[in-house]
Amino acid sequence: MESPEHARMPESNPFVDIATHLFLEDLSTKVGTAGLNNYLISLANNLAANMPEEEYDSWDEFLEAVRKGSSILSSFEEVHPLTKHCMVTRRSPFERGWREYAKRVGAFSKVHREVAEYYNQRIRPTAVNSLHIILQTFRDAASKRIRVAGKPVRVEQIATVWVDGEKKIAAEGRLPGLLKHAGITRTRLGMLLRSNSDVWLLVPE
Amino acid sequence: MLDVALVSLIEDLIEKAGADGVIEFWQRVGENLANRIGKEAYMGWTSFNVAVREGRTAYSIEGEVTPLTDLAITDVDGDIVGYIYAMRQCCYLPTVLRVRYSVGELSKADKAVAQEYNENFHNIAWCNFCVFHERFREEVAKNIAVSGNPLECLLLATRGFDGETRISSKNLAKININPEHVRALLRNYECVYALIMRGARLKEEA
Repeated sequence: MESPEHARMPESNPFVDIATHLFLEDLSTKVGTAGLNNYLISLANNLAANMPEEEYDSWDEFLEAVRKGSSILSSFEEVHPLTKHCMVTRRSPFERGWREYAKRVGAFSKVHREVAEYYNQRIRPTAVNSLHIILQTFRDAASKRIRVAGKPVRVEQIATVWVDGEKKIAAEGRLPGLLKHAGITRTRLGMLLRSNSDVWLLVPE
Repeated sequence: MLDVALVSLIEDLIEKAGADGVIEFWQRVGENLANRIGKEAYMGWTSFNVAVREGRTAYSIEGEVTPLTDLAITDVDGDIVGYIYAMRQCCYLPTVLRVRYSVGELSKADKAVAQEYNENFHNIAWCNFCVFHERFREEVAKNIAVSGNPLECLLLATRGFDGETRISSKNLAKININPEHVRALLRNYECVYALIMRGARLKEEA
């Protein structure tokens, strides 16, 4: 985290993240995979709804806010605009918590992967685990709270890479259109996936 | 972002299950986490305290813990049966600040859970996370053996975000420690607890 805004935001204690993982695991035993999926979606939507709305005069001003970490879209992740519409997140905001979980608690509960499979089949095929459901839903909901030159903005996930290297890429039918909007090629996407955790599209509605 | 999302989760759960339901949830999660971490054994207090300093015990998941080896707890025979441990920073403080910088204000649901816990369980919580935390520590203690004896954890004192302190007179009486000693510790630490050998014959009980 380099910008003044990011420097101000302290890193979370991974213990709180681990407790939240366990909380979600406990919840899943009561509500099942579908229920957990709904819970994660509503959780992310509520979080975005609690954050202040934003307005910018121009796309350049908005991109600068995203880069500096002062937009809600970059509150929890370090976002680098690669082109005007292609955003990359260098490091998953969940990596520290997951590493600490693996170190102190053991293997990640399979429920996190099962709920992602459920989400991938019904919503979009870009989640490796439960945490991506939260992140991708949050970005969606947060983007609806932003106006650039009076117009709303839209986010679409192009690809996700988890800490262990597992990738999930947008549906084959949608990918060419997303890449075109993002201004990158399929080869470039492959290159980006080596060293980033997320590649996503950010466009005016 | 998961920690900030947790605040929304608590808000939502309060609506569905009430503050007492959230407490039940958190306590169960605390037990589950402690049990998943598993058992540990140490030859004596010295090796346990070194492990705490090096971040090797189950308690290290919380963050940096300082064993206050000048504050030993003795039994009726004068043998050391425990020590006091302290954390400079509450585990939840970074989350409180992260909520401040992203959402703006910590939800009232957080306070509601702490208040319910203070009224009905143990008057020592500052935030909803203290509820999880206290149970987690109690369960972890059962899984740690020092010189063959399982431990017991007693939460002694906490200092909240606003500087106000809470001291557990109930737990302090058990280990026969003057509240002023603990009050002085709270100038430097935000969370103070004792680990003692389970079943030890403490002075107060003599």
